[in-house]
Amino acid sequence: MAEAILDAIGPALVRWTMGGAAAPLAPAAWATALGTDPADAELRLLALSGHFLGSFVVPMASGALVDRADLPRLALPTVPARPRPLLRRLLNGAQSGRQRQVIAAFVAARGWTLHPADWLPGANDDALPDVYAPWLDWAASDAGRQASGGALTAESWDDFGPAARALLLVEMRRRDPAAARELIAARLAGTDAEGRLRLVLALATGLGSDDRPLFEALAADRAPRVKAQAAALLARLGVGGDDATEAAAELAGYFDVQTKGLLRRTRVVVAQPLKTAAQVQRRAQLLQGGDFAALAAALALAPVDLATLWVFGSNAALDAGFAGLAERSAGDDVVDILCTALAGTAAGDPVVMQALRPRLAPAQCRALAAAVLRTRGAGALTAALDIAGPDPRFDDLVGTTAFAEIHKAVADSERPTPAAIPELWALGWLASPAAARAVRDRLVAAGLAAADPRLDSIRLNIMLDEGGSS
Amino acid sequence: MCRGAMAIDLATVERLAPDQSALKAAAGLAKPGKWSGLGGAADGRLIWGECAGSGANPYRVVADLEDHGNKCSCPSRKFPCKHVLALFWLSATAGAAFPVADVPEWVGDWLGRRRKIGGAPAPVAAAPKDIATAEQATPATVEDPRAAERREAATARRAEDTDRAIAEALDALEQWIGDQLRLGLAAFLDDATARCRRIAARLVDGKASTLAGRIDELPSRLLALPAGDRTRSAVVELGRLVCLARAWRSDPRDPELRRAIGSAESREAVLADPDAIRVTTLWEVLAEQVQTRRDGLVAQTTWLLALGGDTPRFAMLVDYFPASAGRRGSVFAPGEQFAGEVVFYPSRTPLRALLASREPLPVDERHAWPAADDDITVALAAVQLAEPWRLDTPVLLPAGRIGFDPAGKAWWRAGTGTALPLAGTPAAAIAGMRLDSAAALWSTGRLELLAAQTGWGRIDAHG
Repeated sequence: MAEAILDAIGPALVRWTMGGAAAPLAPAAWATALGTDPADAELRLLALSGHFLGSFVVPMASGALVDRADLPRLALPTVPARPRPLLRRLLNGAQSGRQRQVIAAFVAARGWTLHPADWLPGANDDALPDVYAPWLDWAASDAGRQASGGALTAESWDDFGPAARALLLVEMRRRDPAAARELIAARLAGTDAEGRLRLVLALATGLGSDDRPLFEALAADRAPRVKAQAAALLARLGVGGDDATEAAAELAGYFDVQTKGLLRRTRVVVAQPLKTAAQVQRRAQLLQGGDFAALAAALALAPVDLATLWVFGSNAALDAGFAGLAERSAGDDVVDILCTALAGTAAGDPVVMQALRPRLAPAQCRALAAAVLRTRGAGALTAALDIAGPDPRFDDLVGTTAFAEIHKAVADSERPTPAAIPELWALGWLASPAAARAVRDRLVAAGLAAADPRLDSIRLNIMLDEGGSS
Repeated sequence: MCRGAMAIDLATVERLAPDQSALKAAAGLAKPGKWSGLGGAADGRLIWGECAGSGANPYRVVADLEDHGNKCSCPSRKFPCKHVLALFWLSATAGAAFPVADVPEWVGDWLGRRRKIGGAPAPVAAAPKDIATAEQATPATVEDPRAAERREAATARRAEDTDRAIAEALDALEQWIGDQLRLGLAAFLDDATARCRRIAARLVDGKASTLAGRIDELPSRLLALPAGDRTRSAVVELGRLVCLARAWRSDPRDPELRRAIGSAESREAVLADPDAIRVTTLWEVLAEQVQTRRDGLVAQTTWLLALGGDTPRFAMLVDYFPASAGRRGSVFAPGEQFAGEVVFYPSRTPLRALLASREPLPVDERHAWPAADDDITVALAAVQLAEPWRLDTPVLLPAGRIGFDPAGKAWWRAGTGTALPLAGTPAAAIAGMRLDSAAALWSTGRLELLAAQTGWGRIDAHG
């Protein structure tokens, strides 16, 4: 019966679509109900048809439905229910993906992960803590590949997504660099340029002279970024090509090794004064594509000597270019020397530290951030946050110049100035729980309401320290 | 009482009041029994509470005891309004009514948005105010029986005029629907906004303002659908209008039909109705919808799910306010559970309701959802059979998950295989979860998910 009515309604719908009377086409079962008045019959047919379609006809999908895979469980538990409203407000108020990453990293450092209903990474959301790798792969895969959780081998390669594979390869490089290299070498041929770059980046961990043949083979890769990355890793091994030697000779022309002091016994590397913007640009270009060891050789110095003789503080842009050169192509010993120099000098610029940061261990990042907090005023907290890494737990924030400025602004007007708001936000992610309490108490005493949302990051810090139950 | 509470005295309340009538109204509300959800911040600076007003939802009131900054979600143009004054008054006379509590999200949101003012706001006018007079009860006035008769007669005359105007407006509506069929629904869909606007204006003139608002929103509902579904949905929607018009003609006194066409009963009338269904139980806030309509009103709809009982029971709290009044804060947080009495407007399948009383539950106390409807299509058809003109029908879906058709459109699919299309694209996370149960609205042939119970806990699926 219902099927017959549905079949009969079809022609009526076609008639109404184009315009005209459809009552003559009505299902036979409704003939009596439509009455004899033609205008009224149209309305009655409309009411009956609409009621039938709205109540008894269920739409059908145009093909088979495909489910996404289940969202994988992560290695850390999701945050308890209590801090979630606060976290949601922080995530909603975040100005950028970078700020959301800071929040995610902080929570992970405290032993939790965000709830997927509150936040999920995008497929290209890199720079997240390793714990989110399964979600990155889930977001990247339409089919929702489910990681097997086993070891990464040539056979199990396709069981893992790119983010999970990158993590496992780094871990494998630490444990057995040769096995990881062989696995990577075997997969390079069948991988696209973006994938090859990821694989080459994984080789940066556990770098050794045995990797040299593979890097030399990659010098012929068709993707410029892969080629450049392979050349940079070769340079870290102290191997430079002819092009690098030529460029280094030109770059060395912009510097001079001089002596200084009363006895002229202290040597320093000094930048030659430049006369034109074109010269500045060319020097920056050479630093960007150069090779640290080749530059040292062109200056007749060992790489560690070049690092030791460099004096930071005269030109931030030049310092950042030099730090970037070291980050890409220098060995770990050179990077350590530069990090120590930056942490010990009052002139260490956050931009220069940022350039070196990708090669630094967490403790070195924290030391540089501490130097920023110690030596800088306004803006130091956000700058330190960019360098410090997740949850550095600084204990002495109340004594910093940057906090004193926020405190003064609050005490003067019971409001943080617009410039102080991002600084307040950064405070919560930098502070140890004890420091967070001290900061909160000082600001509340200065006139800020304890419930003020600008203290949210500080409140979250305290709440997570109390197991999420504060 | 709040730790380290800051004090406010009645003299300050008197000074803050914009006029004597506000002070008088505040005196009537300054009783703990008129309020729910009273609380204060641990530092004693903030107090807040919820006070029943003329709408379906309570008004939310927050005040800063230090600088007397305040906010109330009521539409009053007086500042501060009677609710704020009553909150201050209550704080001055019954501080113990404000237990120390976590600062709710809506209070935190207000703190983040507010602009600091230099001290207490100055009174708008220097009209004489006296708190002692405000506290005195107004003597009951004895009404002249002849005046009452005249008033009743006038009311009856107005009702007759209204019925006549509505009947004429519905005639015009049916004529208009007939014209759309004659000229073709394809042409109607191409020009739906302008055509609906014209007939909606005629309905407003005919005192059918609710129906006018519904027709004004018809184009946006139809145009949100895939092009292939629009004609069929236009037939369903226009057919419902015919059903509604004819049902009203058969019984113009039916309160549900009058509400669907003209205007709703007042809060007082519903609360005073001895036949109104009252449900006192635990409720969960499923979602809040805020829609700015073409007629310049903002509709704020809160969907509630009763947590007791064997079958799902929903309540819909609706308030309207002018868009020119600015953004209004949410009344509830999705997922919030509370104990309360809900009074339903009379209806064949009661849904629209008023919140008569509300007491929040302890934060850690959570109650499970009732069992879902086994056969969802039968449940939906039952509501449509009872109320053929119904637009939105809330349902509690059984276990299922989201699937995608070859065109990438999302569908909810039950474990039994029943599949229904979703309006829009669901949040990414919910597509990767098995839904143990989900609350949704069935509207214009699509499901709009509101919330779901999953292996990851309760998920907000709306907004």
